[in-house]
Amino acid sequence: MIRILPTSAVIYGGRAAWLSPVPALLGGLVLRGVYRWLRRTAPEGAGLADLTVLSLGKAAGRAMCVLYALWLTFYGGFVARSASERLLATVYPNGGVGVFIAVMLVVALITASGLTKTLSRTAEVLMPLLLAVIAAVLLSALPDVASENLLPVTYLDAGSILYGALPIFNVLSAFAYFLFLMGHVEPPKLTRGNSFPWMVLLVLVAFGATFFTLGTLGDKLAISMENAFFMVIRNIRVFGVVERVESVVVGVWIVTDFIFLGAVIMIVSELWRTVTGAKRRAAFVPPTAALCAAAAFFISPDAFDFQRWSDFIIPAINMTFTLVLIPLPLIAGKLRRKY
Amino acid sequence: MKRAVLALTALGLALGLVSCSGMTILSNYRRLENIELVRTITADAAPEGVTVSICGAAGKESGPRQYECSGPSMGVALGELMLMPLGRDAILSHAESLLVGEELAKTGMDQCLDYMERFSETRLDTGVLIVRGGRALDLAAGLTGKETPAPDVIAGLGKNISRMGEGYFFTCREIASSLAQNGCALVQCVKGEEGEKLFEERGELDIRPAGFAVLGTEGGPAYLTEEETLGTLVLLNKFRSKNMDLEVEGTVLTVSVDRAEAGFEPVFEDGALAGIDIALKLEANVICLTGDGALTDALYRKSAEEALSRRILAAVNAALRRSRQLGADFLDLEGVVRRRAPLKMERSGESWAEVFPRLALNVRAESTLLRTFDIVDPPDVAGEEENRSPWEKLIESLNGS
Repeated sequence: MIRILPTSAVIYGGRAAWLSPVPALLGGLVLRGVYRWLRRTAPEGAGLADLTVLSLGKAAGRAMCVLYALWLTFYGGFVARSASERLLATVYPNGGVGVFIAVMLVVALITASGLTKTLSRTAEVLMPLLLAVIAAVLLSALPDVASENLLPVTYLDAGSILYGALPIFNVLSAFAYFLFLMGHVEPPKLTRGNSFPWMVLLVLVAFGATFFTLGTLGDKLAISMENAFFMVIRNIRVFGVVERVESVVVGVWIVTDFIFLGAVIMIVSELWRTVTGAKRRAAFVPPTAALCAAAAFFISPDAFDFQRWSDFIIPAINMTFTLVLIPLPLIAGKLRRKY
Repeated sequence: MKRAVLALTALGLALGLVSCSGMTILSNYRRLENIELVRTITADAAPEGVTVSICGAAGKESGPRQYECSGPSMGVALGELMLMPLGRDAILSHAESLLVGEELAKTGMDQCLDYMERFSETRLDTGVLIVRGGRALDLAAGLTGKETPAPDVIAGLGKNISRMGEGYFFTCREIASSLAQNGCALVQCVKGEEGEKLFEERGELDIRPAGFAVLGTEGGPAYLTEEETLGTLVLLNKFRSKNMDLEVEGTVLTVSVDRAEAGFEPVFEDGALAGIDIALKLEANVICLTGDGALTDALYRKSAEEALSRRILAAVNAALRRSRQLGADFLDLEGVVRRRAPLKMERSGESWAEVFPRLALNVRAESTLLRTFDIVDPPDVAGEEENRSPWEKLIESLNGS
């Protein structure tokens, strides 16, 4: 998210992009409401894959799940490559993409082989650490923020603000994929509707990243950079004593990468379990990780081409799935009273 | 058990991959005493292309060091320099300043800025300075004394230059952002001056501020005079303080100007931007009075305040004139107008390039002498002042005001 967001939001929203997280959150909440409505009458323990099969029937439902699985495998590869490119562009310029992809997928493989609740608990435990690091980094960057880079914002910028919300909403909409894991998380957590605070937190992080990037670099400089937020971090100096903290920050980001990648592999294996009717999904984890690695290697030959993927192609496909291809069968099933 | 063994094997494989790739601290370990922490980089034009040098800090048992190398470009030269057997590993991660020689600044500022932005070791908050009338390499070498590294002297100037009211150290980030935003940017210039070497530890040269350079103008950087630089500092609200002598009623009054703020008010006529009213608010304190002046006299103080206003007004007008003459909005007036009246500016529909040359720029200044630091009137060295009681002086002062 941090690799793509500040720059993408600024490309679309310009100087006013720091306000874009607000409409993005509203959009995210609406989408969350739609998915909640679709799941309201779902049988206990059923994930989205089960509901898709219920809605479309066995053959069509399974075919749809295969499509989801193929996309998410490719998406997993994209996530791995994205994280690797970020490490190369920031800390290890002389390294090779392959090493990072391999290491990340090995760790994600271990993560995905475990229980879903273990992964979600790990994420919960690590969240305070991540938030603390992000908060500390942003506070340290405060002296560099110039109001001239953020203002003026008028009602004429409303269109830009909405446009800038697109990439943030795109990231938020990925929460839909996690609904495939329903049935693996304890019911009380589901009933409390836990996705809301997570979504707000995610939007706060998006706001912080966009606000500080824009405030420090200005919109025109920010959009000319691959990792604008990282540039902000590279400049952090705390009271002239602590500086060059980017390695620590990148180190912490790796944690989020492997958790997200692990979750994606887990979702894909769950989809294959539904498609094949197998009892356990563990057998599908290693081939999924291997396919993710292949996708990560072959997605694009260089960073320029990869930028095109991350700026336009992947967000477009992602939104097609989360806004159309995943909810549409469920809406059909709901209207036909299949569940 | 089987899962644990599998997980441990996979983790071992991951760690092995990382270690073999040479990307860990263990495979690329460098002892602290073998690191040359570069604090200043210099770049000059050379027959080969560019000559670069790096200056580090003084070691405990060794004096300050400077290494140089030439190459077709800054990137190649610095790359070679860092691979040369210096006896230490040079790292640029903490570079504080980049000194660019005047000759290279004419054509090569873009490569210097691009290198600093792009290279993963350097950072954007490195201060950039153009060396007037000489090579950056020579200035750095001249500043280096037996125990005084050039970066210390440059950092000292950087810390105090704003308080001297003679400039501001713009960083790569500020320069790049201004170039992207306004198409031009300011860079601080410095020059080397031969000073008397009063003690062994200092270098042969002194470093002095030499005004601002404006990047983004045709034919290389345009250099601002001292007065234009002062006006620019005030208009950019980057002025901190400056001591200046004012001629007031035949006396010389030295004041410390501690506040100079510029307020901007765009003026629109018939929906089009017609001008900008610029209001300067100045505050000063008396440092020294030479001559027969009476600070207790309100009229004298008023004259002093007017003299200060005139001085700063002249500087500000000079900066505005130069900005218009160069066709470069280095004062960010467009940004100021857009922030003050965004809707009116949007509705006027005119581009800044069309508007700027015909804008009426009305500058006015309001100065206040705040305090005199205990001694009100100067000591009567000449003995011309008649012996009067403090009460008489007070009454006279009240009558005057």
